[in-house]
Amino acid sequence: MNTLRLASAILLMGSSLGFCGKVVNVYLWGDDIPKKIIHRFERESGVTVHLSSYDSSETMYTKLSASSNNTYDVVMPSGNYVQRMQRRGLLAKMDHRRLPNLKNLDAMFLHTNYDPGNQYSIPLTWGSSGIFYNETQIHHAPTKWTQLWRKAYTRRLLLLDDAREIFSMAMMGLGYSPNDTNPAHIDKAYKQLQKLIPNIKLFANDGLQAMLIDGDANIGVVWNSDAYKAHTENSAIRYIYPKEGFIIWIDNLAITSNAPHVKEAYEFINFMLKPSISAEIGATRGLAITNKRGKALLPPSVRNNITIYPTKKTLKRGHFQQDVGEETNTLYMNYWQALKLQF
Amino acid sequence: MKSKIQRLYLFIIYFLLYFPILILVIFSVNKTKYSLVWHGFSSQWYQVLLNDVEIWSAFFNSAVLGITASCIATGLGLLGCMHLFIHPHKKFRSLRNLLLLLIIIPDIVLGISLLVFFNVTNLPLGFVSLLIAHITFCLPFVILTIESRLQTLDPNLYFCALDLGASQMAALSKIFLPLLWPAILSAALLSFTISFDDVVTSYFVSGSDFSILPLTIYSLVRSGVTPELNALCTITLIISIIPILIVHKLTRKKT
Amino acid sequence: MKNKSLSIKLLYTWFLCFAFIPLLLIVVTSFLSKDAVHLVKLPFTLNNYAVLFTPLFMKIFIRSLLISTITTLVCLLLAYPFSYILIKSKIKTHLLLMIMIPFWTSSLVRTYALLSLLKGNGILNTLLIKIHFITNPLNLLYTNFAVISGLVYSLFPFMVLPIFNNMERFDFKIMEAARDLGAGPLDIFFRVFLPNTKKGIISGCILVFLPAMTLFYIPNILGGARSFMIGNLIQSEFLEMSDWPQGSATSIGLILIVLIFVYFVRFRGKKQ
Repeated sequence: MNTLRLASAILLMGSSLGFCGKVVNVYLWGDDIPKKIIHRFERESGVTVHLSSYDSSETMYTKLSASSNNTYDVVMPSGNYVQRMQRRGLLAKMDHRRLPNLKNLDAMFLHTNYDPGNQYSIPLTWGSSGIFYNETQIHHAPTKWTQLWRKAYTRRLLLLDDAREIFSMAMMGLGYSPNDTNPAHIDKAYKQLQKLIPNIKLFANDGLQAMLIDGDANIGVVWNSDAYKAHTENSAIRYIYPKEGFIIWIDNLAITSNAPHVKEAYEFINFMLKPSISAEIGATRGLAITNKRGKALLPPSVRNNITIYPTKKTLKRGHFQQDVGEETNTLYMNYWQALKLQF
Repeated sequence: MKSKIQRLYLFIIYFLLYFPILILVIFSVNKTKYSLVWHGFSSQWYQVLLNDVEIWSAFFNSAVLGITASCIATGLGLLGCMHLFIHPHKKFRSLRNLLLLLIIIPDIVLGISLLVFFNVTNLPLGFVSLLIAHITFCLPFVILTIESRLQTLDPNLYFCALDLGASQMAALSKIFLPLLWPAILSAALLSFTISFDDVVTSYFVSGSDFSILPLTIYSLVRSGVTPELNALCTITLIISIIPILIVHKLTRKKT
Repeated sequence: MKNKSLSIKLLYTWFLCFAFIPLLLIVVTSFLSKDAVHLVKLPFTLNNYAVLFTPLFMKIFIRSLLISTITTLVCLLLAYPFSYILIKSKIKTHLLLMIMIPFWTSSLVRTYALLSLLKGNGILNTLLIKIHFITNPLNLLYTNFAVISGLVYSLFPFMVLPIFNNMERFDFKIMEAARDLGAGPLDIFFRVFLPNTKKGIISGCILVFLPAMTLFYIPNILGGARSFMIGNLIQSEFLEMSDWPQGSATSIGLILIVLIFVYFVRFRGKKQ
């Protein structure tokens, strides 16, 4: 046993010796921040970035909850998760004085309903989920969520693998708000979704672009950023904002409460708030950016693209996704799992 | 006739095995980024790959982890198996059965249970936590592989050798090791393969400063498999042919 | 002897620390209740296990059993003659290594290569349409067929290695003797060769069946909504639902089913 301890001590020392320099551990959603930008940050600040990414907010939440929360410095939760994580004490209160580039943000995002005053989170990108379709295969373009229930779409739908998003679709189809907490309404939405089962082909959160471009799925529900990226390679892919309404989500940068490298974390976030950096994210990822100055730097083809930046009129129909509290969350999740088991 | 059918069968199996690999290689020189249609020859993805420091450090890390875990697991498993073989006491059999139980545990359960365990014991997540997890799930495979070979041997050989005056070490190394050699190699190779490729368990017990290849790839495939990954797989393939040459040399020496 | 009992001690300690205690944690968790903030909370309950006997869950278990069994059988039918031909060959170690090599490339990327094979406009369909075998592309992807193909492709060497190792020690002179005694080829196979390779078959089946039940990323990538298996269920319960007690109970349920399978196979094997 002693030799084992000695060996592990040596290994630990060895692994930490390699990083005498400044370091920041970053845990991001997928590929949202391009590697080029990470490298640029490393060059300009002298801080080494250890990048990890996750494919679902739930996974991120569980991993942070189970570990001692000092593995990562910067995380990228969406709005509804900010509330959940803050309740669990996973996020640190932010000192805005250390983020001078905060002034670049669009005022619309400075007082979000999930984190008034941006105490725990800094909005970076936002987007929506709506209906996509391939116009060479689908001849009657859908305009409403309820049209997805049409018999013509049997076994054709690709749906996001996200409980809240898909339930929101059913809720809005029934005329309720996607942030509704009424159990009776949620039950009705569940019964609606049960009727949709014959139409559903698969649930997926990643690799969506290839599915859309190659025509493995011709109609369904995706995030606008994926639809935009697919459209650039296959112009038959169309994205619409349904008439009954749609969800707007915001992805934020936050610092964990036990972060070992707080100074570097602030540097990282401040860097991402630079207009030129934000513009680069917005130009390549099909994501709408929260940075006012950055948006002005975007190429017109991106800035005026209604898939990424819907018109003000369209935005009026949008609902910002909010946390609905643990009890309702559990209810949604139970229904979601029951739904998935019925195939 | 019989040998022709046999050769054909072998050929079909190898073809089926290598066809997806062939696709990987072909697309590594494809000009396009996401599409799966041929767009023309281009070695750009190898350039991109060569410049991609993250992937190479992840590759190196995975290799180091795999070799270490494989050596330790094979060594430990081998010693344990041999001891059990020579002294088949009942209580040791229960240890063996318990170790085999490890295979039954879904890798996700192992990953989560180890994550919680490391959290409780305050072990930081990184190389050590990964190594522990990898050795843990490699052990039962080593034991199964070596055992299935040991069971065809006669333990009396060992006792005869002892009777004839050989020391324990000599008896074991001169009699059993040569007989077990292919099984040991298989066990080591199997362990390395499992470790190099493990996604699920590693996902939970990996830290932020020791990136491994499967997780790096897992995060990259999210945006679609770019030909850069295909280029990486092609190179891994070429590198893997080296052990064959080594084995070829070794078997030549014997004859 | 000291050397050897050290290895046993090491193995015991290893098992205790890194397998037994974590497992114990899971067993204990399976009897607890779900808590939204701290993940588990006290009232002990049998509810998590009761849920496993509802029709919805049973359906998933049965589907997983079916898919895993088919995968195991396909692997066995392919690997058994393959191993036999291999051991008779002069370059068997090389051939064996050639089986292992594809598996040193990432299985994720290989699964995506399978994906590109099976797609609607993928290589298989394009080929079949070109030779006029079919007119409309086959809907192979996001089906159980794709999942089984992916599983067989990933788990094939796990079947080959144990069978190969076991067959290699088989003394072929026994077969010659049987032939001399007048036994026909079928007899030789079923009464001489097969029983002596049983141990290898059992090991191989176990090594394939178990991961087939629990790998979740292959049904994730290649399967559709109708390929939801136990591995996906456990992943979902731990990660999406944050319901660790339920996830633990499902895992224990899975372990018990598999234990029964293994015991059954070994018991029958020992009988004969």
